[in-house]
Amino acid sequence: MDIEVTESGQSAAPHTVGRRALLGVGAGGAALSLLPFLRGHAAAAADPAPPKKPTTDDVALLGEAQQLELTAVALYDVAIGAGGWSDTEATAMVFMREAHEAYAQALSGLLGRAAPGQRSEKLFKALQASFTGSPADMLESAALLESSAVATHTEVLAALESIDGSKLVASIFINEARFSTVLADLAGMTDTSDLLVDTEQPSLVGQG
Amino acid sequence: MNQTNLPFSSPIGRRGLFRAGGITATALVLAACGKSEVGPVGRVGQGAPTPELEPEVINDGVLLRTMAGLETSIANAYAHILESGALAASSATFPDLGDQSDLVTLFVPHHSNAAVRFNELAVAAGSEAWECGNERLDSAFIDMLFERVENGAPATDVALAIEPSDDATRDMINLVHTLESLSAESCQAMVQAVTDITLRSEFMAVGVRSARQSALIALKINPGGYLISAATQAANDAPAEETTTTVDESEGAAAPPSTEIPLPVAVPSQFGLLSPLVFIGGRGDENGVRLKLSFETPSLNSLAYPFESCDA
Repeated sequence: MDIEVTESGQSAAPHTVGRRALLGVGAGGAALSLLPFLRGHAAAAADPAPPKKPTTDDVALLGEAQQLELTAVALYDVAIGAGGWSDTEATAMVFMREAHEAYAQALSGLLGRAAPGQRSEKLFKALQASFTGSPADMLESAALLESSAVATHTEVLAALESIDGSKLVASIFINEARFSTVLADLAGMTDTSDLLVDTEQPSLVGQG
Repeated sequence: MNQTNLPFSSPIGRRGLFRAGGITATALVLAACGKSEVGPVGRVGQGAPTPELEPEVINDGVLLRTMAGLETSIANAYAHILESGALAASSATFPDLGDQSDLVTLFVPHHSNAAVRFNELAVAAGSEAWECGNERLDSAFIDMLFERVENGAPATDVALAIEPSDDATRDMINLVHTLESLSAESCQAMVQAVTDITLRSEFMAVGVRSARQSALIALKINPGGYLISAATQAANDAPAEETTTTVDESEGAAAPPSTEIPLPVAVPSQFGLLSPLVFIGGRGDENGVRLKLSFETPSLNSLAYPFESCDA
């Protein structure tokens, strides 16, 4: 069937539009209307969103992060058990010990059965000696440990792919950064560069 | 001559009623028509189309531009605070605070350098650099706060004028704490928002430093305020107390107490927070109510979209 189209003016000469042409126009219109959608997918293909759940590589990294947190819990236990703390110091040390335990539990929740669930014995033995002595010495050691934790988690974050894993790790070590300032203040440090940790301690990745 | 027997005040008959009604209606129509004005003659045609909003593209470049603007706003705010000299003045609220000008001066390059770095990354991501402050943060929060603290608020039809702040030093140092916390929270919030995973560490490098600066300034304001206390936590968790709007207006009655300003702590929670940061400051109004602002991490109404520019 042909459809006759009548126009006025210069292009008044009648012409016909065939079925094929009509279908072509329709297909073209459909393609144009889908363009934004298709363009969005093309952009997504070029720059895909990171996975939500931890990948296999993420699991290993997050497991290492959990071991660090459990090692920190054990080290704080050693320090708290040594005694000699003022009320303020004891409150802060207990708070931080419980915070590290909460971080380990949160990582467990993310990793499920893949979570190591135990501290790094090697790291614990390497750091245990520094968590004895006077409260000021132990506070300084704890401040250095928190700085190492920040460096470690920064390195872990750089390698993580998943959104859930990176979100959790970020919420952990941004607070550990605050811990190092608090512990430095409690230890009696007054130099701003010490309180703000101008020089971060080395990362502990691979040392567990 | 014929005379009728009808009295002068005879009742109106049906015919008379119709006649009177018709005359009244006609008079009303004529009266209504008399004052009408002739409007323009209707036209046929097509006007300009309804303007459409630009598409709200949110990509890594937009997020980086936004963070560059936020850090610039913070650096600009500190410059304003330092220029005002408020930090060098003594504070009635915090008598032991001391002059924190040097510390805040130390914070400025951290934020301006962060803005430069975020802009470099934005350009690398294919976006234009955002060289000015975040418009939303400036107009709805920081500028408003400076105005209230420094100049108060003029009287309106329903409220009396509010004087400038009763303690500008207190308000400015609390603002520094709020802005450091905002920088830390915003950087943390970006970790889950960006698609390029290499940007996460860039944001957190800034966020970690801001978090420490936030903790340090909290300790300057509130020495020994390391942690959120159990009492404060319980008060926060408890339901709100019943309030009243009754004001004692009798002669000699005490003025209503001003809104309490909470003291900051170095570690406000166990995990890094993304919740709004409440700033309370300025002088209280006639009811004692101070300015209260909730600073939030960047969201849809504060992003630096591609169709926006600092020149606009």
